[in-house]
Amino acid sequence: MALTKIQPNIIAVANNVTNKTVGNTTSIPSFTFDGAGVVTSASNVAISGAGITANTVANSAFQTGSVENYLNAQGLDFGMRNRIINGTMIVDQRNAGANVVISSNAPYTVDRWRAQVSQHNGTMNVRQDSTSTAGFTKSLRAIVTTANTSLPATSVTRIWTNIEGLNVADLGFGTANAKPVTLSFWVRSSNTGTFSGALTNYDEVRSYPFEYTISTANTFEKKTITIPGDTSGNWSSNTDGSFALNFNLGSGTTQLGTANAWTGSWKVGSTGSFSLAGVLNATWYVTGVQLEEGSIPTSFEYRQYGTELALCHRYFLRYGGTGNYEFINFTTLIATGSGTAYGCVQNPVQMRTVPTYSASNLRVVDENAAYTVTSISGSGAVYGNNYGTEVAFNVSSGLTQYRPYFVQINNGTSTSHYLYMSAEL
Amino acid sequence: MITYKLNKDRRTGEDCSVNRTDDNGQVWSIPLVLSNTDYQEYLEWVAAGNTPEPADE
Repeated sequence: MALTKIQPNIIAVANNVTNKTVGNTTSIPSFTFDGAGVVTSASNVAISGAGITANTVANSAFQTGSVENYLNAQGLDFGMRNRIINGTMIVDQRNAGANVVISSNAPYTVDRWRAQVSQHNGTMNVRQDSTSTAGFTKSLRAIVTTANTSLPATSVTRIWTNIEGLNVADLGFGTANAKPVTLSFWVRSSNTGTFSGALTNYDEVRSYPFEYTISTANTFEKKTITIPGDTSGNWSSNTDGSFALNFNLGSGTTQLGTANAWTGSWKVGSTGSFSLAGVLNATWYVTGVQLEEGSIPTSFEYRQYGTELALCHRYFLRYGGTGNYEFINFTTLIATGSGTAYGCVQNPVQMRTVPTYSASNLRVVDENAAYTVTSISGSGAVYGNNYGTEVAFNVSSGLTQYRPYFVQINNGTSTSHYLYMSAEL
Repeated sequence: MITYKLNKDRRTGEDCSVNRTDDNGQVWSIPLVLSNTDYQEYLEWVAAGNTPEPADE
């Protein structure tokens, strides 16, 4: 008689069921049923075809910790897997979507991401862009505005982000316990070909060039790259920079190296990879950048906007630009003379280090008058730390000694109304 | 050309920060703190043989 159904009472009495054929057609591997109710198969059991019907496996089938233990064993962490800040390019405090001209400099574009043209006369514009792919609303776009097809050997064209040591210390880079990491990102370009980048240490003496292929022009494609942990070199585990993730857009031969291998010098891409810098009006977009522990890429880790913004604030903060008069964190000043008033500017989050300040279109006010701020100077080395700094706000004249004042940012919406605090890497 | 000018703390008289003026005229007030990367750049600038303007007395 063909065995068509295994009844629970059969399981209860049988010690071993081996190589049984069910319904004359389907072979099943060897199973052992023990008296404690544990079923063990002699080999892996594949589930194919329709698989398990949805919602037919009871929650009770998963013992507490079984899923967690599996993910841990695979090196797949849970929350805050992504070591990249602003990988969605959503935060753009400095430029609010405006183009940043990259020409023999290395300015910040969107938060945490810099662009560089070095040692060649090409130029490009980089900005936050609304061209994106499903699941994302923003990307970072580079467009070549002056092409260079004869790049000097030491030239560099890149977009990159630095990662603080505290945020990657657990990966053990520079030790025998270095763990692999997996990079995922969505990329699009007007040109197809083999592009490249490199994971380097902040000191720029250890590099792992990697390659990715863009198969279809003007179409976002997801790329994943696993990078073995580096057991050599200096990789900070404190508030200094540790990792640098580079996307090469065209660099000289000295700055390019062999793909998929660690090397003891600074490389930003792979030898022979495509040079976007050589094509006028060529475009390159990136978003959804994730760098995580382990060799298995997981889905992109979305963080709430407020969380992402606070993470950015550890490195850079901008007050201003809302179109209203903005009090700077409700700072009260005390005038020490007719031309200067002091106050403590408190940081909304603990910044990486004592920040650098810059200001434009500020005014010191009381109930009667407003005085244009002509300059500021922080006293960071004496009265400053990661939480706040005493700052002198200088005006031409008119303040009354020992009188309290407020400091405001004028009611402009442009990027020229601000107080900047920068503790970047 | 980038220039630097030191600032003194009004109470202690010590140098407490240095203002950097960029090519575009933007001024940055940099704390004299080693972990600040702007200060690291300033130290490299000094090591290259440059001298900042002294602080106002």
